[in-house]
Amino acid sequence: MEMKQAVYGLNIQKKYGKFRLDVPDLKIPQGYATALIGENGAGKTTLMNILSGVRMDYYGSVRFFEEAEVQGRGAEKNLKDKNIYTNTEDKLRDRIGYTAPNDYFLSNWTIAQVMEASELLFDNFSRERFEEIVEKLNIPTDSKVKNGKKIADLSDGNRMKLEIACVLARDTDLLLMDEPASPLDPLMRDTLCDIIRDYLEAGQGRRTVFFSTHNISDMENVTDYAIIMEDGTIIEEGFVEDLKEKYIMVRADAEDRNAVKPYMLGAHESNYGIEGLMKRENIDVAESIDAVIQIPTLSEIAVSLMKQYTGLKF
Amino acid sequence: MKIIQNNGVPIYQQIASEFQDQIMNGKLQPGTYLPSIRSLAKDLKISVITTKKAYEVLEAEGLVSSVPGKGFYINATDTEMMREQHQRKVEDALSEAIHAANVAGMTKQDLIETLTTLLDLEDEGREQ
Repeated sequence: MEMKQAVYGLNIQKKYGKFRLDVPDLKIPQGYATALIGENGAGKTTLMNILSGVRMDYYGSVRFFEEAEVQGRGAEKNLKDKNIYTNTEDKLRDRIGYTAPNDYFLSNWTIAQVMEASELLFDNFSRERFEEIVEKLNIPTDSKVKNGKKIADLSDGNRMKLEIACVLARDTDLLLMDEPASPLDPLMRDTLCDIIRDYLEAGQGRRTVFFSTHNISDMENVTDYAIIMEDGTIIEEGFVEDLKEKYIMVRADAEDRNAVKPYMLGAHESNYGIEGLMKRENIDVAESIDAVIQIPTLSEIAVSLMKQYTGLKF
Repeated sequence: MKIIQNNGVPIYQQIASEFQDQIMNGKLQPGTYLPSIRSLAKDLKISVITTKKAYEVLEAEGLVSSVPGKGFYINATDTEMMREQHQRKVEDALSEAIHAANVAGMTKQDLIETLTTLLDLEDEGREQ
């Protein structure tokens, strides 16, 4: 399948302390929603910060929309020069919307100040659209306080909604969202999925969404491509429909455990039986013992693979 | 269109079958375009790649063709091919029935009688 890449990262590396992010080849397909999945500390936020330009102290490069290339600045000491962004990067800023995982706006700002700051930062920020989305997402803008409610008074969920409103108020080609679902309630998570689908549909193949998430089940029906990370590297990636063909979920009786266990990834054993992910190419093994074979969910694929590669011993 | 999550039939397959039916019974006319993959995904609240895969199944069956940048349109109907596809559906359903009959311990004769009875009932229904 010939596919344009919205983001193409080459040899991205970042080291701090014992942690090492090492992504030789990062591809985010254009026109789709890609989920970045991994344990805490797997490097998701580091990667997200590199793509969004929040951090520039990395090695490697990132090419956006198959045209604009951003080079990492290497070690931290190279960032002393205050004006760290190039013209290309400044232009890219307008085409990309980024939402951070937690306190992104200053807590003593009001919503009105967030709007003013966004207008200053981005040429394509639309005040009307922003106000419309704030209204639609039911973000409280208490007018008793002069210029509206302060960020500090908003719940985590409402702060995330405000970040979402800020990026949707601009006409962009790429959304980078770091853990957007985490602070949201179930209804708003569902709305977030609708928002992502609307965004992609309006782009007619031009627009791309890249989000990290722990809430795989909630986001599965909006995930086209999945990248699964563990300990700073990508352990699996692909279009979800292809991954569901590559793997099978197998459940077998306890007495058959020895037959299937060697082929299982992230196997879970109990007195009653064994279950785990297997590659479809090994389906004969599961069929020979009459095991239950199912198409795995994205959540089952991700959790099994993470379990297989984790350092977690529990 | 009704999409059922976790019923064992992959969602892309459910979508493909639904469109197959609509093409075969003429609800969808040759030459018309299917909804774009992203708008269908939005309407059905599923991922884009799933609708894309459904359309690729239809394309592989020769029911639709894709035009880059424009989408998928419905091909002129080939009655011979359609008949074959219907026939395949019948065979699949009957194979399933045979399997169920084996599980239930029904004999070949039992099965044939059941089918005959069902056909008779269908005929009566039509006459009324």
